[in-house]
Amino acid sequence: MPRALDELRERLLRAGVAPRHVRRYLTELNEHLDDLRAEEERAGRSRFEAEAAALSRLGSMDVLAEAMIGRRQLQSWSARAPWAIFGLAPIFTLAAAWFVALFILWSGWRLFLPGADTPFGGTPYEGFVNIYFQVGRMIYFGAPFVIGWGIGLIAIRQRLNVAWPAIGLILLAYLAGTAQVHANRKEVLNGIGHIGMGFGFGSSGQSISDGLTHILVILTVTALPYLAWRLRKAITASA
Amino acid sequence: MATRGTNPNFMNGVPELLILRLLDEKEMYGYEIVQAIRNRTEAVIAVGEGVVYPVLHGLESDGAIRSRRKTVGGRSRIYYTVTRDGARRLAELTEIWTKLAGAVGGMLTGGRYAESIG
Repeated sequence: MPRALDELRERLLRAGVAPRHVRRYLTELNEHLDDLRAEEERAGRSRFEAEAAALSRLGSMDVLAEAMIGRRQLQSWSARAPWAIFGLAPIFTLAAAWFVALFILWSGWRLFLPGADTPFGGTPYEGFVNIYFQVGRMIYFGAPFVIGWGIGLIAIRQRLNVAWPAIGLILLAYLAGTAQVHANRKEVLNGIGHIGMGFGFGSSGQSISDGLTHILVILTVTALPYLAWRLRKAITASA
Repeated sequence: MATRGTNPNFMNGVPELLILRLLDEKEMYGYEIVQAIRNRTEAVIAVGEGVVYPVLHGLESDGAIRSRRKTVGGRSRIYYTVTRDGARRLAELTEIWTKLAGAVGGMLTGGRYAESIG
């Protein structure tokens, strides 16, 4: 691929064009360039002259970029509605993942621990019961990290600046760091068990410190891939 | 007057019209479309050839055309064809263009459009 097309890709991604459209555009431009080059060579030009003529006929990089950037329907959702992609989508995805995790906890409590006042602790679980509850735990604790890495991946693919990804990651870390799950069998009639969630730091100094540490850990781990990419980009630019 | 309302997309709609017209005849890929436009307009309409692709992507995004990768003569390319929505859009654009071209032509040859202004 000619260097000019590499630069065009970066320019289009930074302008918010959806990566799938950018990828296809460059593929088609490359194929078109091959056809033009072959046509020019058939007309008797040398390979070097044919390459230059083909690039010229394809259009200047400014024209090629503007033609794509000017079409709103080809923009990515993260460029059209960043508040939805980095604000709402992570919250809804996290809520869905936690719903599944808590459903596993609640159903496991009903099925395997019918006499227990709480699904937490107590007798150690074994075999399938242990696997069942561990899957729920994995979803509950893993979801914020997976979603955070997803935010980072979108930001990297679309060459986004730090603002929106940072908002998404901070929001995610705050929710995950302050979430607390409560289970009580006495609150509901017939004692079928009630599981609820709350968000807060608690009242003691220790719980506030734990909550802040939790937020910081989640934020650091989820932001790492994006930060590594920014660092690599800065090193490449300065080299 | 034949057309009272303004049409800001008029000039922008020309590449769409030409592309839809060509694809309405047969399935084509980008390079083929550009060559066909050049040949049929006797190179009067000649732009940076690469700009045909944003137009094609836009039309596909609007549902006016669809694409598929096809290998012909050992070369794999993305071919485009018109959908039913695209055929409808082509008919609309053709009607608008015909009216406007007629109006401009009438002005230039001193027909009734010129008289109405004078």
